[in-house]
Amino acid sequence: MGVVLAIAAKDLRQRLRDRSAWVIVFLAPVLISALMALAFNNNSEFRANIGVVDLDRGPAAAGLTRVLTSPELEGTVHVRSYDDESAARRAVDAGGVHAAIVVPRGFTQALHGGTAAPVKVLDSVDFGLQAQLARAVTESYVAQVNADRLSVATAVAAGAPQRDVPELAAKAALLRLPEEVRAEGLPDDALKVISYFGPSMGMFFVLFTVGFGARGYFIEQQQGTLDRIAAAPVGRGALLLGKSVSTFVYSLAGLATVTLVSWLAFGASWADPLGVAALSVAMAVCVVCLTALVIALVRTEQQAQGLASILVFALVLLGGNFVFASGSTPLIRRLALFTPNGWALRGFTDLGTGVRGWAAVGAPLLGIAAFSAAVALVTALLLRLRRTA
Amino acid sequence: MTALAVTRATLTRVLRDRTALFFMVLLPVAIIVVIGVTVSGFDQFRIGLVPAARSGPVAQELVSELRSAPGLRTRTYESAEDARTALRRAELDAVVLVPAGLDADVRAGRTVGVRVLVEPTGSAGHGAVSSVSAVVAGHGARLQAAAFAGDQAGGTFDENLALARGAERASSPLVVQAQTVNGESDYLPLGYSYSTPTMLVLFVFINALAGGAAIVATRRTGVYARALAAPVPARTLVLGETLAYFLLAVLQSLLIVGIGAVAFDVAWGDPLAAGVLIAVWALVGTGAGVLAGALFRTPEQVHAIGPALGIGMGMLGGCMWPLALVPDWLRTAGHAVPQAWAVDAWTTLLSRDGDLPAILGDLTVLAGFAVALVTLASLALRHRLVTSPGS
Repeated sequence: MGVVLAIAAKDLRQRLRDRSAWVIVFLAPVLISALMALAFNNNSEFRANIGVVDLDRGPAAAGLTRVLTSPELEGTVHVRSYDDESAARRAVDAGGVHAAIVVPRGFTQALHGGTAAPVKVLDSVDFGLQAQLARAVTESYVAQVNADRLSVATAVAAGAPQRDVPELAAKAALLRLPEEVRAEGLPDDALKVISYFGPSMGMFFVLFTVGFGARGYFIEQQQGTLDRIAAAPVGRGALLLGKSVSTFVYSLAGLATVTLVSWLAFGASWADPLGVAALSVAMAVCVVCLTALVIALVRTEQQAQGLASILVFALVLLGGNFVFASGSTPLIRRLALFTPNGWALRGFTDLGTGVRGWAAVGAPLLGIAAFSAAVALVTALLLRLRRTA
Repeated sequence: MTALAVTRATLTRVLRDRTALFFMVLLPVAIIVVIGVTVSGFDQFRIGLVPAARSGPVAQELVSELRSAPGLRTRTYESAEDARTALRRAELDAVVLVPAGLDADVRAGRTVGVRVLVEPTGSAGHGAVSSVSAVVAGHGARLQAAAFAGDQAGGTFDENLALARGAERASSPLVVQAQTVNGESDYLPLGYSYSTPTMLVLFVFINALAGGAAIVATRRTGVYARALAAPVPARTLVLGETLAYFLLAVLQSLLIVGIGAVAFDVAWGDPLAAGVLIAVWALVGTGAGVLAGALFRTPEQVHAIGPALGIGMGMLGGCMWPLALVPDWLRTAGHAVPQAWAVDAWTTLLSRDGDLPAILGDLTVLAGFAVALVTLASLALRHRLVTSPGS
């Protein structure tokens, strides 16, 4: 055991003397996470600044404005009034508001029959969701008016006399739509950008060390260091174990640094510190397995660097480190679960939304363990084949 | 002539390196696909639909209308629990739970509540609720009409519902009309037209930086020292290497442009303006790469710091997300890196049909970056070759 630790300590000292190692495992992920936290600090809120032009001046138009300023939309919609359509157009064009609703003259009158000019929703190409919201609120409001008119028309079609239309219209005006939406808020925590991308960037850069570890092995092989150690009364198993321990400690330190800085400096939150630790340990073990796989697969330092780079980029690309997996398609989310980092990010997502314990990290830990075991098995087979060849 | 020989040797070495080709072509294209798929449909709310176990025709009609609503991107879930989990993970903006007794309640004249679950903070949930409300209101209008007709003129609910559908087709309801006022976008178009130009900017720069590692390795193996003893002047070596990495950057750009146009249907805008932009950006990348090759001591340093630097600058410069989304101060700070000017120029070309004069300002700044970087890189590499060619 002493030999294993001595080899691990030597490797760690060697790595930590290399300034680029500090950059890639500690500095880069922290800086990039910081950048993301700053970029999206106040950006998780969806806001819609909507202009209103009331050319009708009647109670129906006022009702529409009341919907926009209702308590349900208070945190989402901010309303600004404009005197005429051209002023609203200029505001939308200049980005003063995301969209504007123009209520035409005669809108209130149309409630009692007759026609009115369309209610216009002026939008900008860059604010599709806000435009969709403005359209939806207007359509919901207009729907009740149209429902009353449709009720009268249907009653007439069903056999009610045409002469009763005024009376039917008066009755219909008292109706309320038989279906209504009831919004309910979930009690969970909202996922913060940094709670996802902090660990995501940490994993990305820690996976990068697979290449460094593998290259280091071949450099030592070239220099004869491995042969000299093997000649000493130290088994090759102890040598590999020592190197694995150093890779594990180094990877875990990198992940721990990023998660701690994300939590302390940028407000990342996870429901369960033990869960965060478990995921980090599992990922560090996985990095060890991947390093061993690369060593088993290639024969030169250059090949190690190339294969490790390809492997790492394939994993981070599939796993969701470059894009927010939840914002992606179901197919990409499914593909992410073929990677250890994808499982880990699933775990961090659940921890970041208030789920604790095994419910959050159980499946991810099993997923990472399965991946690591498969990699270890392939590595063992390759090494055996190489020895018998 | 000797400089061209140096260029040819470097090009041959890089183009034979399969790993280099992976980073030049395959990786950028893979990332373009992933990001392109991810950044589409941003103008729709993502809705999870949970139909009742045994839905009647009225409930089925509501589900069908929610699915076909243009402002909604719906996904059906078997259970409310699965949909809740997806909502919690921010995979959805809202979840619609279609009530089990909807048909029976409506026929009995009772008001039905359609539950919509949202994440109360930090999401587009309330906007999604309004969009669902609009669809539900349109559906409810026919139900109201059918019930009213039954009260006033008799007939079964289903008969009157069919009449209501007919009357709706024949009626002239009040209309909500959308008009796009501002068609000039500050963003690149969504989908592949977003991911392809941004990844071109990102990867040409990162790859050029990675080329610096090869220069460092060539320095350390003594190749330059032997060339200088040949004797080949240092400036010839510098010129040859710079030209090689410039051509590689242009080649990578053209490959991405070609794949983008053919496979992803990206319209690159004015060809002359796009060509000049590609050339200037390749020059910026070349300058950065040769400078890295002159300044770093080991290839490992370049491999470690290059990607981190490239990704960080890419994020600052709007390659990972549009700078229009970030706070003003960060957008201003982002323009300290050349990537921001390149992305701005591509936005002008792809989203506003810009031409060469329209991106002249961005090109001037990029040319400034390019001249500064290439000059600095040439001086630094020449100095390194003259003073310590074998280190």
